[in-house]
Amino acid sequence: MNGRPAHRLAAAGVAVGSLLLLGLLVLPVSALVLRGGAAGFRQLGTDAELRASLLLTASTATLATLVAVVLGTPIAWLLARGRMPAAALVGALLDLPLLIPHPVAGIALLLAFGRASPLGGALDRAGIALLGSPLAIGLAMLFVAAPLYVSAAREAIARVDARYESVARTLGDSAWRAAWRVTRPLAGRGLVAAAVVMWARAASEFGAIVILTYNPKVASVLSYDRFNAFGLDAALPVAAVLVLLAVIPLLVLRSLRVRAALGEPAR
Amino acid sequence: MIEARALGTQAGAFALSGVSFTLPRGAWGIVLGPAGAGKTTLLETIAGVRPATTGQVLLRDVDVTRLAPEQRRLGIVYQHGYLFPHLSVEANVRYGATDRAHAAMVSERLGVTPLYERTVGSLSGGERQVVALARALGPRPDILLLDEPFAALDPRRRTRVRRELHAMQRELGFTVLQVTHDFGEAGTLGDLALLVEEGRLVQAAPPAQLFRRPATAAIAEFLGAENVYAGTAETVDRGGQSGPDTVRFQTGGLTLIGIGTYDGERRHAVVRGEDVVLARSRPGASSARNVLDGVVVEIAPEGALARVTVDVAGVPLVACLTTASVAELGLRQGVPVVAMVKATAVHLC
Repeated sequence: MNGRPAHRLAAAGVAVGSLLLLGLLVLPVSALVLRGGAAGFRQLGTDAELRASLLLTASTATLATLVAVVLGTPIAWLLARGRMPAAALVGALLDLPLLIPHPVAGIALLLAFGRASPLGGALDRAGIALLGSPLAIGLAMLFVAAPLYVSAAREAIARVDARYESVARTLGDSAWRAAWRVTRPLAGRGLVAAAVVMWARAASEFGAIVILTYNPKVASVLSYDRFNAFGLDAALPVAAVLVLLAVIPLLVLRSLRVRAALGEPAR
Repeated sequence: MIEARALGTQAGAFALSGVSFTLPRGAWGIVLGPAGAGKTTLLETIAGVRPATTGQVLLRDVDVTRLAPEQRRLGIVYQHGYLFPHLSVEANVRYGATDRAHAAMVSERLGVTPLYERTVGSLSGGERQVVALARALGPRPDILLLDEPFAALDPRRRTRVRRELHAMQRELGFTVLQVTHDFGEAGTLGDLALLVEEGRLVQAAPPAQLFRRPATAAIAEFLGAENVYAGTAETVDRGGQSGPDTVRFQTGGLTLIGIGTYDGERRHAVVRGEDVVLARSRPGASSARNVLDGVVVEIAPEGALARVTVDVAGVPLVACLTTASVAELGLRQGVPVVAMVKATAVHLC
């Protein structure tokens, strides 16, 4: 008898709490899109700097994602299959960029790849100017977002039963060939989703990039620059376009999940 | 030929250890044991998909302990098939096959060819197992490891596939090591039965010997022996150099004469239900050394057979009879009977 009112009270509390949190998430984004969205899309036709920054953002994020996929997928597989030597240390190293503030990540990258560092000096002597280049932007994106890819890819691979690979190996495949022929297609959707998450994270990066390369400007830096130089009204259209573009990877992710739910082969 | 020498591995908290046996080339080995005993782990260690932490695996007289699975030239079929769901049935069968004609022949004989155009997701559990079997045989392995490969097949298909696989094994001469829970299958197919319990090999013997002469009372119970008694024994006639002793075994009010060697320790006696003969009256003369008076307390029909429990001096003794015999003897609860057991059917362990 006493349980029902208590249940109702708890349910009401959960509902109110959920609405508050969702409101907190939706309100700022809605305000931004409502105030700057239309102007932002109009500005895409007239503002060459905005178009260039979006192109730079997309291309560097894509490059960083491709590098992460090529270099990170084997690591993810080794971690998922428990075959990585010093797995705990590697895991900790991969988690580190997720935990440190992004401007600090930028400073660390500056120390490692700046002209004063041995590596940066060598690159400089080889005629590769890293700082202030799209390459540095890609490097910053890779540093902050690649761990997300490896982590999500590891989970996607771990969801594929290792016995598929075992069977493939008794049928003549080497470990890597079995992973390529069997695990890769079975984890395919998860790997694509991991890449999409990484791309979105890389495209929205600001803190690490701004330390390494202020110019040319990626979209997040351009938005910050216009806010500083010309105030809120000038920054709004750029910011709104960035938010609307973030919807694309979100839709891709949703589509992957729906397809997985509808068409995943029975195991 | 498969040989394990003190083989051991670790699978999380579970350990397989000290497993030693030899399965000759072209033989059919059966692995029995309760769930979680380490049967699949044993197959995986032999296949090399799970590394051996101790001991050795020898295949074809060659130490392969450190070789990768793809270098061991064997096939494995898991209970759940593990067909590659992104490939068609045909692509699965041809996955490791170097000789397409051979893969096609295997598919035809196992009845897989009509399934070629199907997707893996549309197959039943039994169909998956047969396709997995055809896939494993595709690369012409001379060693085949099977983990309950017929468990999901309906009885008719199981008989057909089992017969066909057995025929192929005889023709192609490959060695088989099969995990099963089906004691009938073990008796029909097996040349050597391995009983695994808690990660250890507790007995390795031809199936008939394993069933009739289990090493321990626990093994006897696992193998379905109806009458397993704990009691005491004493030698009544020493066989000396020429053979075993005659031993008197006592449990409660039941005394059994058996054949064996009594070493003074507390013993168990095992009598299989099919070795107990029932009659309505004592025979005039009989070779059976155990002629016991009792009363029927329960009759449990199981198809054409019935398990008749007889109370002998307060100890239950189960006899397996045909239902026709039960009817002819007019057995029912409370009917006095005479149970007869040969001394050689009383196994002391």
